[in-house]
Amino acid sequence: MDAVKVYGRGDTEVRALDGVSVGFPAGRFTAIMGPSGSGKSTLMHCAAGLDTLTSGSALIGDTELSTLDDRRLTLLRRERVGFVFQAFNLIPTLTVAENITLPTDLAGGARDDEWYDALIDVVGLRDRLHHRPSELSGGQQQRVAVARAFAGSPDVVFADEPTGNLDSRSGEEVLRLLGSTVRRTNRTVVMVTHDPVAAAHADEVVFLADGRLVDRMPDPTAERVLDRLKDFDPRTLGASAGGTSASGGQAGAGVRS
Amino acid sequence: MSGTRASLRISVSSLRAHKRRFAGTFTAVLLGVAFLTGTLVMGDTLRGSFDTMFGDAAGGTDAVVRSADVVTVPGDSLGTREPVDTGLIEKIERVPGVAAVAPRIEGAGQLVGSDGEPVGGQGPPTVVGNWIDDARLNPYRLADGRLPERSGEVVLNRGAAEAGKLNIGDTTVLRTPDPVRVTVVGLTTFGGEDGMAQVTYTGMTRADAEKYLMPKPGGAASIQVRAGPGTGQEELADALRAVLPSGVEAITGQESAEENQEMISGQFLSLFTTLLLVFSGIVLLVATFSIHNTFAIVVAQRTRENALLRALGASRRQVVGATLAEASVVALVASAAGLLGGIGIAAGMRALFPVIGFPFPEGPLVIGALSMLLPLAVGVAVCLGSALLPAVRAGRTAPLAALRETAVDDSGASRTRSVVGTVVGLAGIGTILAGVFATPSLVLAGTGAVLALAAFVVLGPVASSYAVRLLGAPLDRLRGVSGALARRNALRSPKRTAATATALMIGVAVVSLFTVFGASLKATMDRTVSRSFAGDLAVSVPAFGGGGSGLSPRLTPALAELPEVGSAVGLGRGVAEVGGDGRQLTVTDPAALAEGFDLGSVDGSFDGFGTNDIAVSRPGADDRNLRRGSTVQLTFADGRKETFTVKAVYERSELAGDYVITRAAWAPHRTQDADTLVSVTFRDGVPAAEARAAVEKAAAPFGNPDVQTRDEYAETSAGAIDMMLTLIYALLALAVVIALLGIANTLTLAVHERTRELGLLRAVGQTRAQLRAMVRWESVLVAAFGTAGGLALGGLLGWVIVKAAEGAGDTPFAFAVPPAQLMVVGVVGLTAGAIAGRRPARRAARLDVLRAVATE
Repeated sequence: MDAVKVYGRGDTEVRALDGVSVGFPAGRFTAIMGPSGSGKSTLMHCAAGLDTLTSGSALIGDTELSTLDDRRLTLLRRERVGFVFQAFNLIPTLTVAENITLPTDLAGGARDDEWYDALIDVVGLRDRLHHRPSELSGGQQQRVAVARAFAGSPDVVFADEPTGNLDSRSGEEVLRLLGSTVRRTNRTVVMVTHDPVAAAHADEVVFLADGRLVDRMPDPTAERVLDRLKDFDPRTLGASAGGTSASGGQAGAGVRS
Repeated sequence: MSGTRASLRISVSSLRAHKRRFAGTFTAVLLGVAFLTGTLVMGDTLRGSFDTMFGDAAGGTDAVVRSADVVTVPGDSLGTREPVDTGLIEKIERVPGVAAVAPRIEGAGQLVGSDGEPVGGQGPPTVVGNWIDDARLNPYRLADGRLPERSGEVVLNRGAAEAGKLNIGDTTVLRTPDPVRVTVVGLTTFGGEDGMAQVTYTGMTRADAEKYLMPKPGGAASIQVRAGPGTGQEELADALRAVLPSGVEAITGQESAEENQEMISGQFLSLFTTLLLVFSGIVLLVATFSIHNTFAIVVAQRTRENALLRALGASRRQVVGATLAEASVVALVASAAGLLGGIGIAAGMRALFPVIGFPFPEGPLVIGALSMLLPLAVGVAVCLGSALLPAVRAGRTAPLAALRETAVDDSGASRTRSVVGTVVGLAGIGTILAGVFATPSLVLAGTGAVLALAAFVVLGPVASSYAVRLLGAPLDRLRGVSGALARRNALRSPKRTAATATALMIGVAVVSLFTVFGASLKATMDRTVSRSFAGDLAVSVPAFGGGGSGLSPRLTPALAELPEVGSAVGLGRGVAEVGGDGRQLTVTDPAALAEGFDLGSVDGSFDGFGTNDIAVSRPGADDRNLRRGSTVQLTFADGRKETFTVKAVYERSELAGDYVITRAAWAPHRTQDADTLVSVTFRDGVPAAEARAAVEKAAAPFGNPDVQTRDEYAETSAGAIDMMLTLIYALLALAVVIALLGIANTLTLAVHERTRELGLLRAVGQTRAQLRAMVRWESVLVAAFGTAGGLALGGLLGWVIVKAAEGAGDTPFAFAVPPAQLMVVGVVGLTAGAIAGRRPARRAARLDVLRAVATE
């Protein structure tokens, strides 16, 4: 019973995920890497409850996502998941401050002022709180998105190519921000990227190819990731997949058999 | 040439790709054109039906002999005509070429149904006449039973008998206006139908007709003449003229029918169709705003596409052409559909009128060329006109725009706009004030009103930011972040919000205008009754238009004799020419007038009011330069002139009319006598309930007139206004529907535009319900802005019209703002806004989160 995601049927069938079992441990920064079409985005979307699996199961903590209806999935995203997308992360009509508190505001709950204050300092946007997104640079916008993702104290934050639209300096800032937030506040982050430099900021890198898990690499550096990627050969697929089951510890989120 | 073809190909493929975007435009054009077509077709059909009807009625009559003396007062083009002497019949019969002659002794007669309620009388005439034996001179045919032979026997047209639930053998009352007991002995038909439209017809013996309908025996309304074979109508009329004495005229049957047609088609129908055309205009105006807005948004959304075309070498003209071609296709298809819809509406109305008791004759649908070409032209013109500015803007797209992020039109209000709007607004207010206060004139005030409307439209985008901020202020607190988002979305493009809301604003403004105007009319009537009516009870008969027969003049003396009654004053109607103009006279007992009616301050006295005395209202006196003691000559319908001395000049003419004479003075000139209103005052010390019961009992034999207190009477008087308002609301509902379609359409386009944003909101935890609420609240906000603007504008225009009417006319007008009704208008506007937002909201909520996030 491995996680499978199939798009289309018959001849046009695409197995975006073909039996992946992976866990993302809590309190860690995990990067998902793989060539285009390897299924990394699909894996993330399914793990985050944005998309549903064809078979298999996706869990966040002990919550089985496939058992949730749309409303519960929405509430789960609101309360237990944070998102940073590649672009268009902010609502243009809301100020920076309002964008950060959006999930809390949608929930109608009171926000944790202390946590919010700390976050503002971490992302360093205190003087920009009442600006509109259009008045910020791309890097600043992504930092706001990171702050928003963490604002509701989620169990896990998913980042989909968060630096894809940024120049390398701004990207570096955003990645450092993600990393430092994980380590300082013991949060869980899962990031999809195709950039080895970005992946190097993670605690561990998970490699995907053709919808299968092919390798895991703890404590990555950019060079090692790059080397590993160069090794990628479709024929070796699955060879090193054995033994990469969900970690027995406190799984922050995962897709597993 | 090929350039045009390319433009056309682009627009057709673009239309095909964005069918949904044009659904709103299509519907707006369709409804506007359908309304216009329906109005025109219905007008033609009614005109055709009436013409056929009058043709039928006069079909066998070749000439009509009648008195040449006639007094016409404003609003009655046929006028009051002196009866013609039936002694002329013998003379006429001897004229060569005459085949048959019959007197037409005709008057008004209100039939009372078996339930005691009057039959008909709400518009169409209630006719009583002698039964004419010559089958070609009489359009009615006996269908059942027999003809009246003895006094008191009548035939009814089948429709009237059915409406009053009367059968052959039944006995009922006919108010002529003296109550006459009649027995139904036969039923008649008109041209194979149950009647001449909704006209009630009662046929009686010639002796009865002379007795009840003519002031003296030997009179007839006219003499109908039929020509023998080989004699033409003109020829006959000429031959008749040769033998007729002076003061009697002969016209052809054709001319007689045309006079009747002219009265209906020329006055009533023109008014009716003009009213409908005005509403079509309003509907089309509202549609124009909706359509313009759709095109503006579509062009803005397509900036990249147009830029790409330009970059690939399309000329500016080709881009403009493509947009206009797109508009033309929509316009043609929608207008064609609208034409069909309009014919459908007219057909439906024709079927519906008899069911809801509308007094229109039946007839085939008349579809003239004009009724097709005009709406088609208007539909295309409105559509192309609305698309012109956006098309020109599309042509200006810089090729470089293809490389930039899609720019959504979020331009705010320019300074020029504020300045122009303010200037126009000030000019409008100035003109209004001048037209209301300085030199009272409806034209001036109307011009000001149009300027004010223009200012509202121009200032819309400026006002929308403030208004939405203000109106939406409670949303943040009430609806949390979804409410705040709704408010900011409405603020995004002030121009677009304003344009969307303007359509609704115009609709609501017209609705509130009529609401305010109607309420003011009612208040005026109420005030009229409460200050001019001094009696305890009002006795009257409900009647409207040409129907009804009024009250019997014998009622007043009968009531005055009651021990419970202190005084009873009846007002009768007469007509005469005063200084060459036909005027209505009030015929009454002037000495008792002050007991039943409050005439305000009186210069002179009603005591010892003689047959040759006249009392004149202040405006009437000013009009003719009359003072107490001066003399005035009246010319009556019988051609006789009499000189009266002004004995009193009184202030209030609302109920008493402008000229008051005695019954004795009117009696020699009377035609068919009737009172319109009797004011009854109780004797001191008699309990009101007891006195009322006595009055009701005494009045009942006079054909069950309405006995009402002053308040009840005021309310009944205002009833017609409510009926008019209901009709107007029904007509305006269409304009409001089009405006709401515009809101829905704009929102659908906005949802499309914000796909990514909506996806993001869903991703970070906005539930579907919250998303729906957000879109709906945006819709409500836009509607609230439009409604608030409409209420303000409508209230202003209502005030202008009331004040200008008061200034321009003599009658004092009360201005009233009905808070309850306006509140209802407001609530309906908001609710409708919420409904308009439903579909876009549902569509937005259906968006797949992932697709939305991934959309380019």
